[in-house]
Amino acid sequence: MTVARTSQAPTPPAQQRQQEAHQQLSQCARATSAYESRFRIDRPIVPARAARVVALDERAVAVARRVAGRQWAHARFYACEGGDPLDPVLRRLDGVPAPLRQVLTGTDVVVVLATEDSGEAYAAAIGRTCWERGITTAGLVLGIDYEAQDAVAALRPYARVLLPSADESDVLELLTALRV
Amino acid sequence: MLRKDINELLTQTGPGTAMGEMFRQYWMPAMLAEELPEDDCPPVRVKLLSERMVAFRDSEGRYGLVDEFCAHRGASLWFGRNEGSGLRCPYHGWKYDVTGQCVEVPSEADNSSFCQNVKLTSYPLVRIGDVLWTYMGDPAKTPPLPEYEFAQVPAEQTYTSKRWQQCNWLQAFEGGIDSSHVTFLHSGGLKSDPLFKGAKGNEYNMKDTKPFFEVADTEGGLFVGARRNAEDGTYYWRITPWVMPNFTMVPPRGDHPVHGHFWVPIDDENCWAYSFDYHPVRALTATERQAMVDGHGVHSKNIPGTYRPAANMDNDYLIDREAQKRGETYSGVAGIAMQDASLQESMGPVVDRTKERLVPADSGIIKARQKLRKAALALRDEGVTPPGVDPEHHRVRSAAIVLPQAESFLDACRDAVTVQPGVRQTTV
Ligand code: FES
Ligand SMILES: [Fe+2]
Repeated sequence: MTVARTSQAPTPPAQQRQQEAHQQLSQCARATSAYESRFRIDRPIVPARAARVVALDERAVAVARRVAGRQWAHARFYACEGGDPLDPVLRRLDGVPAPLRQVLTGTDVVVVLATEDSGEAYAAAIGRTCWERGITTAGLVLGIDYEAQDAVAALRPYARVLLPSADESDVLELLTALRV
Repeated sequence: MLRKDINELLTQTGPGTAMGEMFRQYWMPAMLAEELPEDDCPPVRVKLLSERMVAFRDSEGRYGLVDEFCAHRGASLWFGRNEGSGLRCPYHGWKYDVTGQCVEVPSEADNSSFCQNVKLTSYPLVRIGDVLWTYMGDPAKTPPLPEYEFAQVPAEQTYTSKRWQQCNWLQAFEGGIDSSHVTFLHSGGLKSDPLFKGAKGNEYNMKDTKPFFEVADTEGGLFVGARRNAEDGTYYWRITPWVMPNFTMVPPRGDHPVHGHFWVPIDDENCWAYSFDYHPVRALTATERQAMVDGHGVHSKNIPGTYRPAANMDNDYLIDREAQKRGETYSGVAGIAMQDASLQESMGPVVDRTKERLVPADSGIIKARQKLRKAALALRDEGVTPPGVDPEHHRVRSAAIVLPQAESFLDACRDAVTVQPGVRQTTV
């Protein structure tokens, strides 16, 4: 929207000078001025990501539970229960089983949480499946990294980003930044 | 995206702000040593963390950084006469030493003690390497002097330049840990810049435009590892260290000197980008040094006599759409430094981070912001000294290395990312 100037009122000289000076600025200088910044389009941003957060072990599930208690747009949280490493069984945090394939339908980012190596095989399976489906994967290893080195190694080939020494606030921070 | 209040917390560094207090815990570059080239040379205006000061070098070679304005009636001491071991305000002749102590008030009686009670706010100014450093915090808590390798190696091995950047420090800094833009924005430079080209690593850089990231916490900040596919079964890793709050290094390329930056807040809408290049084990060649002076690599060609880049927002960064079409530059702006600065300044003086759409590849930035926020609040609320104050944290290096795929870069690179005097950098 442009601000219309009333046609009758003559522009006071000082303001006119200011206006002229503004017009003489280079495009870039003008565009970054406080005056021009008022005209940036300001529409609410639609949450872009339908994220799935998958916790690979017990302590990771506890973190997922706490994080899930916050307000998220589309994020959903799961615990990896085990089963066939090639087709792991996931469960929603309320206990309802959810096959991996189904969980991954309609999502574009998966955040994997691990605190130890027990979930190594599942990390690899989830990472690979996401990879095949073009789903971006992030891996967060919570706590002291040496406990989960194998899980990290299993995720490494697939995870676009790995945080090998993360904590609970990193999970919050990442999900918030991604607008899930 | 970042909440508005957190964005303000991180971007405001004036006196009394949480981040401002945090910055005041560190030794920071205040100016280049070349700005005060000799005893009794003209004083220089310096603005840092939203405080205006004047720097001078007295007749004995002592450096001073004092309040810009005379205690008498507020004239700028930039007009001062620097002579006889002090800076004299030319208005009514009040004179100050490098500590800001008033040593003469000509209108008072000869043996008056009046001037003893007049002292300008002042900060220490210490030369290490090519940089004059200051510490603007509580004098009782002055930390040990900085130990960054670029400032510690012999003079013939190092070069530092600076340029004014017209945006908030955080915007500029975030470019310093953002490894994923290199393959796009700087792709022209990888091929042609004398301080970048020719390295084997550049081939990996160009071949794989979708790096993977690992962000590892350290005591003093972060290591951001970016990996790209290399030969069978290996990855090419580029490791970028960040030492809190505002020191970053670029991973090396071949035997080129290693570069990095300090991003120092001038006020909330301007910062200094200090750009350094050094080689840990050899002197810079005359050609390399000349290339730096000419504004290649991470340096900029500045308007003579100033630290303002010749390509700046007032001339639309001399954008050359033809060069862009020909593939010489990716954005049409020449030079690595100004490619970064043009885009960072285009965001506006303080970018509105509530509007971002971050992706997992931005995790280094997400983590850095979190660490800055936590440290600023821990200092404010509990008086905890922030990471990066301890000189131990300064002894980091960037690295570029090819590793077997199964290896973690941190395990493989502990030595490579630590300063070892006299040992060559780890580079591809
Ligand atoms: S692609 Fe990153 S700012 Fe536009
Ligand atoms: Fe850059």
